[in-house]
Amino acid sequence: MSADDHTVTTTGRPTNEPLVRVTGLEKYFWENDSLIDRLLGDDPVPVRAVDGVSFDIHEGETLGLVGESGCGKSTTGETLLRLQEPTGGAVEFDGRNVYDLEGTGLKAFRREAQIVFQDPFSSLDPRMTVGRIVRQPLDIHDVGSKTDRRAKVQDLLERVGLAADHVDRYPHEFSGGQRQRIGIARALALEPEFIVLDEPTSALDVSVQAQVLNLLDDLQDEFDLTYLLISHDLSVIRHVCDRVAVMYLGEIVEIGPSEEIFESPRHPYTEALLESVPRASTDERDRDRKTISGDVPSPRNPPTGCRFRTRCPQIIPPDDLEIDQEVYRAIMTLRERIENRAITLEAVGDRGEYEDEDGEFDVTDPDAFVADLKADILEWPVSGRHDERVTEAVMALASEQWDDAAEQLAETYGSVCERENPGLPESAHPAACHLHDVPSVEDDRYGPS
Amino acid sequence: MISDRVKQSLKREFSRSVMAKIGLVLVLVVLLTAIFAPFIAPHDPTQQGLEESNIPPAGVTYTTEEFQMVDGERQTVETETRGSLDHPFGTDALGRDLFSRVLFGARTSLLVGLGGTAVAVGTGVGVGLVAGYFGGRVDDGLMRFADIMLAFPALVLALALVGFFRGSDYQAIAIPDPFVRAGLVDGMPESFVFPLGLTVVVGIVNWVWFARISRGEALSIRQEEYVKAAKSLGASDWTILRQHVLPNSLTPIIVLATIQVAAIILLESSLSFLGFSGTTLSWGFDIAQGRDYLGTSWWIASIPGLAIVVTVVGINLLGDWLRDALDPGLEGEHGGGM
Amino acid sequence: MPSIPDSRANTEGGCEMIQKPLLRVRDLETRFFTEEGQVNAVEKLTLDIHDGEVFGIVGESGSGKSVTARSVLGLLESPGRVTGGELWYRDETFADTVRADHPDAVDGDYVDLESLPSNVRRTLRGTHFSMIFQDPMSSLNPSIPVGEQIAEAVEAQRRARANPRSVASRTQGYGLSQYLMSTVMGSRKYVKSESLERAVELLELVGIPDAPLRAKEYPHEYSGGMLQRAMIAQALAGEPKVLIADEPTTALDVTIQAQILDLLTELQEETGMTILLITHNLGVVARMCDRVGVMYAGEIVERGTLADVFDDPVHPYTQGLLGSIPDLEGIGARLQPIPGNVPSLLDHEMGGRCYFADRCPKAMEECLEHPPEFDVDGSSHHATRCYLAETTYSEARALDADYFGSAEPLEDAADEPVEPARSDGGNTEEDSR
Repeated sequence: MSADDHTVTTTGRPTNEPLVRVTGLEKYFWENDSLIDRLLGDDPVPVRAVDGVSFDIHEGETLGLVGESGCGKSTTGETLLRLQEPTGGAVEFDGRNVYDLEGTGLKAFRREAQIVFQDPFSSLDPRMTVGRIVRQPLDIHDVGSKTDRRAKVQDLLERVGLAADHVDRYPHEFSGGQRQRIGIARALALEPEFIVLDEPTSALDVSVQAQVLNLLDDLQDEFDLTYLLISHDLSVIRHVCDRVAVMYLGEIVEIGPSEEIFESPRHPYTEALLESVPRASTDERDRDRKTISGDVPSPRNPPTGCRFRTRCPQIIPPDDLEIDQEVYRAIMTLRERIENRAITLEAVGDRGEYEDEDGEFDVTDPDAFVADLKADILEWPVSGRHDERVTEAVMALASEQWDDAAEQLAETYGSVCERENPGLPESAHPAACHLHDVPSVEDDRYGPS
Repeated sequence: MISDRVKQSLKREFSRSVMAKIGLVLVLVVLLTAIFAPFIAPHDPTQQGLEESNIPPAGVTYTTEEFQMVDGERQTVETETRGSLDHPFGTDALGRDLFSRVLFGARTSLLVGLGGTAVAVGTGVGVGLVAGYFGGRVDDGLMRFADIMLAFPALVLALALVGFFRGSDYQAIAIPDPFVRAGLVDGMPESFVFPLGLTVVVGIVNWVWFARISRGEALSIRQEEYVKAAKSLGASDWTILRQHVLPNSLTPIIVLATIQVAAIILLESSLSFLGFSGTTLSWGFDIAQGRDYLGTSWWIASIPGLAIVVTVVGINLLGDWLRDALDPGLEGEHGGGM
Repeated sequence: MPSIPDSRANTEGGCEMIQKPLLRVRDLETRFFTEEGQVNAVEKLTLDIHDGEVFGIVGESGSGKSVTARSVLGLLESPGRVTGGELWYRDETFADTVRADHPDAVDGDYVDLESLPSNVRRTLRGTHFSMIFQDPMSSLNPSIPVGEQIAEAVEAQRRARANPRSVASRTQGYGLSQYLMSTVMGSRKYVKSESLERAVELLELVGIPDAPLRAKEYPHEYSGGMLQRAMIAQALAGEPKVLIADEPTTALDVTIQAQILDLLTELQEETGMTILLITHNLGVVARMCDRVGVMYAGEIVERGTLADVFDDPVHPYTQGLLGSIPDLEGIGARLQPIPGNVPSLLDHEMGGRCYFADRCPKAMEECLEHPPEFDVDGSSHHATRCYLAETTYSEARALDADYFGSAEPLEDAADEPVEPARSDGGNTEEDSR
């Protein structure tokens, strides 16, 4: 693209400023928001897909956005490009807030920022020829004459490794990898500065994935592109990215240079992610890995404080408590289940001892009940004074005093992780974790392990 | 717009299905008779002849019993009427040739059927795509209105609307018959009455179906990544609707339209039967005329009835063929992945 | 009747295999008869699976790995059909019960499942073989609580045992009285409460917290990982000897994948069952499997112990597959992808050459003839369908770069131009099965 095409966006950004600056980006989806729900007086429930995300992307770099499904990484990518309107926050592209743009300003932004999607089947209109698909951006922005456009399309197809005479074919005549190349050609047509790659290879076979990754690498060098690569595949992220941001439940928990994230992860979640990936090597079976239990909580009702605390293998006990991590984790899981009332009391034990003829909950021997319940629920043996506390609290369950039991446990075992959201500090490699709170009065015995 | 795959699929389905072949033949027959009615018809369909009334179809002999006073005595006289090839389908109570009327009636039915469907598709698809694509309040408003429309029985709604159009000049317009004008045939009506008001009415009654189906399509196409891609390229909503949403929602619309042509023909016949058509040359009108003679001259009502059945069945068979050929995974092989 | 060759000793990983293999697949052929033509989804597939091992089949989409799994289980649907080969399953009691009716299908302890009628074969499903699938959401009925669905599986197995005509019943000591009882009593409720209890036990076994409560919930109330656990519970209802897991973790996130793999390992160690694991993920294979078969174009092109295949791959396809994975442990150099695409498997396009020759960087003149299976370096457990096992690569006999059609447009961006039949033909037909 010639330089004069940049006039609208290249103004006003000092060279050391990032190309993209995301500040406090929020995107909520609302449930129970239909006409009928409003008539019935049901309050809309926010699903916090993206909840206050901030990061910078510098010119020429590749930032990786990694996380599990439902963590909001794709929504971040789409909201960033204003394919969805944000609930809050700002995105500055080349010094201008994307959400303030209108008319020609917005159109200029659309030329500069592009996206490549995950699904090579749904990202190409089945009723358009490949030529028309790749030409579409040129048509929309009215670039060049008809013959120019045709030549440009053929150039692009050849550049991404397809034959120029493929223009008249339909997408279904191509394999997944080839379709992805077509999608890349379309994104390149307007010679953008910035491309969001939304899981570009996750629908492809490994051998084809490698072809596409190599192609993206070459294109970045050739056209000085800046990438935001969204992926759940850590090995792809590691291979491609300069810096990496790790997302969990709508928040960024850690961000830093790729090398550091992979060699010395600071957030327990990042660590768990890395541990979980099976390596394709013969040592894999003997690798002792630390996996995490449980599922990702619902974004409708995220945990208080640190969102990872319900699964965190390094949750921080109160300062005055001497307790092993495994024991503490087991007690916290028990607390969690009591608070959610997710224990079927009448099914405790093996033979329905605590069930009367009608299937109702009925305890004749509370001590036995408590022992059985502890045996059923606790994932780690608890002994000594912790056992006393737990026994005391669980005893309340024998008379179905749920709140009582929960309160007793909360009193002794309340963690800083459930009270305060750690937030992402300002630094080159920040992690949103209380383990990395600035050591103030306390010692840092819970420091990075 | 029609890819080779679709063509292949249509061909394959056609060669497999006997029903599709029957449907195509029936529809072609009806279509050709409607177009070339003046050439085929042996008589002017409006020409009356009382001495030739109630003649049965060719090959049918019909006996009427009459009481006559012969020599001051009441006697039963049996009169035998034999149908002849001069009136292959017989005549009605006014002596008009039923064969000719059926041929010309096909024009009314097909024109109203196609015209009404065009009106329904135009309104329905427009409303549906906009509602589905934009969603939210727009969708709520438009679709609640559609639901209300749907709550009325079709015939009742049609009657109300017919009443609304009654006074208008455009209720029925006369279209000159090109063949007669050109002097190619003699003795046929100079012009053909097209019930415009009725066509609009049957279209309006049926637009809701198209609105619903195209809304559904738009809702799912809106989620497709190629629509997001077009947005990220800076395409306007209008461009996206025209270039992506409409073409990709056509298949079910085409199938529905075929079936709706048949439904609208039936509705037109019902309205004509009730006397609200605006033309006197229509199958439904003839059935109404023949109703009084059902006990004696059964053919007056049955033959136009049969014509309706043949047309509707033919179109429905054709619609089934289109549905089977276009539906299963039209470019929909999302089976990729691993 | 074919005789059974000596079983091969598996000396890798400390598990000495002195037994005969549990499953002997010989020259299995599966074909799909589609409009584009005959698709050779599985081509002369031969392999042994031993008692209590985890055998992995790894390959890309369209390589025929899922079809292999379904062929073994007899779950193929039209237009797919097993057209040849034998499938010997070793089970003494089963052999005894079948011998009377189908003497030709029995050889010693072995029964050839392919020569049994489908109703006899069906009795093996659930009790001897069961399967878990990639997508648990579509494998469970959304309108029935999870617990009831598992209870149903429990009951189906119970009925299979109680049915006096079924082969299993004579071996399990169930009789007519149980059959009558269950017929009379069973109709009272949708599923019996004891089956439901067993279902809850199974759910607990696969690590679902608060199983009594979760058993009453519907599939949509489960997360993906929980559903996969529920499906494993369902597969375990009949205490099968062989579990076939078709991409069991592909739809899951890595942390959940790790949990499910741990669960499978645990269950396998507890019950001693044999697992046939189908996957495209080489990491999963490395984590789980004792032995591996690499599939390409419907054939196993290389098989051996995990170490054989991962550390000493001989077939250029295996090498290419391993070279394509980005390394998690360090920033690797440029990836070394395999150029081109998976072939269509259409019979008339296959030809008589090595199926990989057109993508192979070491294609030689020999490769124009279809290679048989060679043992690698005289090893009894490492075999490959590649001439390189016996000959070394020589430039002199190499095929021209553009021997198989047009030259590739760029050095590594090398999908060759497709013909229409290729992309919408066989692969997708076969994948959707």
